[in-house]
Amino acid sequence: MADTPLARSAAFTKLKFQLTRLRYRTDIILSIIFVIVFGFLVLVPLIKIIIVSLTYQSFDMRVIRDMKKLGTFTLYHYKRIFASDFSYAILVKPFINSLLVGFGVTAMAMLLGSLLAWAIVRTDLPWKNFFDSIIVIPYMMPSWVIALAWLIIFKNNRVAGEDGMLKILFGITPPDWFSYGLFPIIICLGLHYYSYSYLLISGALKTVNSELEEAGAIAGLKKWAVLRKITFPIVLPALGSSFVLTFTRSMGTFGTPALLGLPVRFFNIPTQIYASISMRNMGDAYVLALILVVLAGIAIYINSKIVGVRKSFVTMAGKGFKNRMNSLGSWRYPVAIIILLFLFVAFLLPLLLLVWNTFLLLPGDYSISNLTTHFWIGDSDYRIASGEPGIFKNPGIWNGVWNSIRLGVLAALINGFLGLFIGYAVVRNRGTRLSKSLEAISFAPYVFPSIAMGAIYLGMFAKPLGPIPALYGTFSLLVLIVVVKNIPFSSRSGISAMLQIDKSLEESARLQGLPWFKRFRKILFPLTKSGFLSGMILTFITAMRELSLIILLVTPTTRVLTTIIFAYEDQEEVQHANGVTLILITIIIIANFIVRKFFGNKSLMGLKES
Amino acid sequence: MKKRLVAILVLLFLVGGVSMLFAGGKQEATSASGYPPEMEKWLKEAKLGPYEEHPQNWKEIIEKAKQEGEVVVYSSSSRVAKVAEMFEKTYPGIKVKYFDLGSVQSVEKTVQEQNAGLYKADIVTTGGSGQVIHQLLDNHMIVNFVPDTVADRIPKKYKDPLLVRINEAIVFYYNTEAYSKPPIKNLWELTMPEWKGRVVTKDPFKSLSVLMGFITIVQHSDEMAAAYKRLTGKDLELHPGVPDAGYEFVYRLLHNDLIILKSGGKVAAASGKRGQKNPPISMIYFTYLRYNESKNYANGVIHPLDPVEKLVYPTYTAIARQAPHPNAAKLYTAFEMGSPKLTKDTKLEPPYAEGRAGELLQGLAPYFDPGSASPRVDVPKPKGGEIWDELKGWDVDPDFMWYNAPQFQDFWTKEATK
Repeated sequence: MADTPLARSAAFTKLKFQLTRLRYRTDIILSIIFVIVFGFLVLVPLIKIIIVSLTYQSFDMRVIRDMKKLGTFTLYHYKRIFASDFSYAILVKPFINSLLVGFGVTAMAMLLGSLLAWAIVRTDLPWKNFFDSIIVIPYMMPSWVIALAWLIIFKNNRVAGEDGMLKILFGITPPDWFSYGLFPIIICLGLHYYSYSYLLISGALKTVNSELEEAGAIAGLKKWAVLRKITFPIVLPALGSSFVLTFTRSMGTFGTPALLGLPVRFFNIPTQIYASISMRNMGDAYVLALILVVLAGIAIYINSKIVGVRKSFVTMAGKGFKNRMNSLGSWRYPVAIIILLFLFVAFLLPLLLLVWNTFLLLPGDYSISNLTTHFWIGDSDYRIASGEPGIFKNPGIWNGVWNSIRLGVLAALINGFLGLFIGYAVVRNRGTRLSKSLEAISFAPYVFPSIAMGAIYLGMFAKPLGPIPALYGTFSLLVLIVVVKNIPFSSRSGISAMLQIDKSLEESARLQGLPWFKRFRKILFPLTKSGFLSGMILTFITAMRELSLIILLVTPTTRVLTTIIFAYEDQEEVQHANGVTLILITIIIIANFIVRKFFGNKSLMGLKES
Repeated sequence: MKKRLVAILVLLFLVGGVSMLFAGGKQEATSASGYPPEMEKWLKEAKLGPYEEHPQNWKEIIEKAKQEGEVVVYSSSSRVAKVAEMFEKTYPGIKVKYFDLGSVQSVEKTVQEQNAGLYKADIVTTGGSGQVIHQLLDNHMIVNFVPDTVADRIPKKYKDPLLVRINEAIVFYYNTEAYSKPPIKNLWELTMPEWKGRVVTKDPFKSLSVLMGFITIVQHSDEMAAAYKRLTGKDLELHPGVPDAGYEFVYRLLHNDLIILKSGGKVAAASGKRGQKNPPISMIYFTYLRYNESKNYANGVIHPLDPVEKLVYPTYTAIARQAPHPNAAKLYTAFEMGSPKLTKDTKLEPPYAEGRAGELLQGLAPYFDPGSASPRVDVPKPKGGEIWDELKGWDVDPDFMWYNAPQFQDFWTKEATK
């Protein structure tokens, strides 16, 4: 176009027109704001990781001793990690271990989750409602709770100290591979993560109209063929999601491998990142963190290739929906009892063991004379637990309870609304590049290993950043990082909630002259309330049990329950650690119960979209 | 249109973000004396560093401290809570705001805040010699202050370049219930088949003190080699790629299935729990000897042990740069070091934090156990504390620690994995 005044004025008019149009497109404005803000909160850390990994850090100066090189470009860290005699120990072995944990846990969790989902959704199993509500409780417990229980039972002579219960009660000494390392890590994490698979797969199974399967059967398909050709394709997206979710999470998890792996020197990538960070060797730590980021990216990519566009179809309920149950016949009660036993082992037993252990004066001594209530209601006694007063009389713990609840509620509220707004912005613009970038960027925090994200935010917000004051040591920083880390989940539930509302509803209100805010309050919000609530309770649960994400950011005044537990564990104040863990789980279960009671039976539905 | 707008915005923001990342790290201007001007001004006002008065005017310090009304303490020790409680009782009107951070975080918080231009701390008292000297003191993030009330009773190495509040150590424990006397006499026995899988320690990357213990052993390579010869009568042969006898000890220990645990408490429990048939030997904090009472453990310090019995590391105390309450900080420092009225012959009875003992020991009281030692030469020993002087010790060297920790970390990671 020639640069004539006329053309320029035409361009100006066009711009003016677009801007005027924009005024009425709250969705676009929201999208732009979100893309910028999230871009800042997600991309800046990523760029920072890359830059740190490519420059000399102050730690390296202790080896190289040439201050002029500080901050200059180098491949030093990459050479160390990928191509030196150090590579095997820092990368290869931990990487293999991480993969083993990832695949092992995923296989176990998906097998358990889908079997349970099938039995509960698609068969005539008794006590279904009871199972359905109780089966997700392991999701509400921090994943390392089961590891703690594992040690109480199966601890053997290797780490000395007190014996495990198995030894005390039955005189059986489990071998090392059974007590520590890969095997128990897979079992303990599998018992936690199966609940993810269960929720996702049962959600998908519930949408399968059994008429579809019957139609297949009438058309002459064998039972196995029905499963393969009809049921499986429908639950495939759910299987894909649970694979990605479980695989990436279990590969990046820190707590359980640290607890069960260290005694037999089972290191994985997260434990190596943690070790490097605590030595302040940020260059090495960030190269390792990038490897996890890339792996998570690959898993998501493969999933999208196999499953196709994420959640591309919705099987709406309500029209002629029939769900005929498969009959278990004489197996009905045996299967139910097996499930009961499983639930007992997976969560009731660990909890009971924790309760029991809080009443032992000396850990490992299960005689009656050793019982005490000191750790719950005792006053400070310098001879017991280094003078820590009992849990109910301990102001530090109450402060932690308050902080945890505050963190959970604040993050839940913010994430709930953010999720809805993101959902609105994405859905109303569906198909445009803006919508796609917003969707992608709101999924991005997912790929960050928690521990690395904590380290980056620590560095990023230690100094004032543009208009943001230094946040280090403040409670706001904890809220911020938890909110960002949970955006992938809340935006998922926001998007799916918004997908169910037809555009015409809002358009007619707009024709009536209702401003955007009113439309949101009167139409959109009421219709998406249940999705909003489920996103909130989900964030609440994750925020309450978060540890690796915030452990580097917490200071004494902002201590939360999980970091208090971690500290007690470190000081071998076992009873206090177990007691505070119980308080944490109790709060989560009560909160979940309240939401279910008052807002319907949908509390964990949000997960189905994640 | 829309797309281009977004693209431009994203680009702008990226450029801004990246430039922000590269910004900073600029050198602060310093005055002739080597201090940044702001700090110089504060030093003058607070009468610290080169502007310290001799003798120190304690009447004035106490008066001003009371006006300041508060002192903010970053501490690596959980027992700071007790010190704070005692200080507030002794000086009503001055509140102690303490942060129990552990050694890594005490240094980290100070560095991060000061880099951000925040000067919130008054006192930084922590271990981690390399970090404290090279990262904090060398960069003027802390100032040395030695109260002259007790200065002449502290050996030079414990007050220069930085005042030591308390000395602690890493020792080797055996189970006194299972063994009537220490089961080993030479450190190298821990690398022999008999102790395979029966030596326990804390992950050195989770504890600067344990790390210092190992690195101090590495530093005394010659003594380690000599001790090996005394035990076996033969010269030590190094494995390929192992640089010296110190590292060879670490190598052999790791390859003798050393058990690494994540918490010091678990390590003390491993050797100390009663009723064990074949208890291991542990290498962990001397102060955990106090668990013998609080947790009914049976730990005994291995003694005699060739070539070393305790690996000593200091916990420093310093006044933070531009501390908002410098006088309260001076008063708190003096309190930490104990009353000048203490003498070698003062008789003290437990509980040490109360009554007359508490008045004399002041901030020393919570640390008055056999596993800790005041740098003051005139402080009496607690019950059972004679053992501190009986144990042959090596002191950690902050320089060696600082420059050799990275190499040690690589070596450890490599050998622990194979």
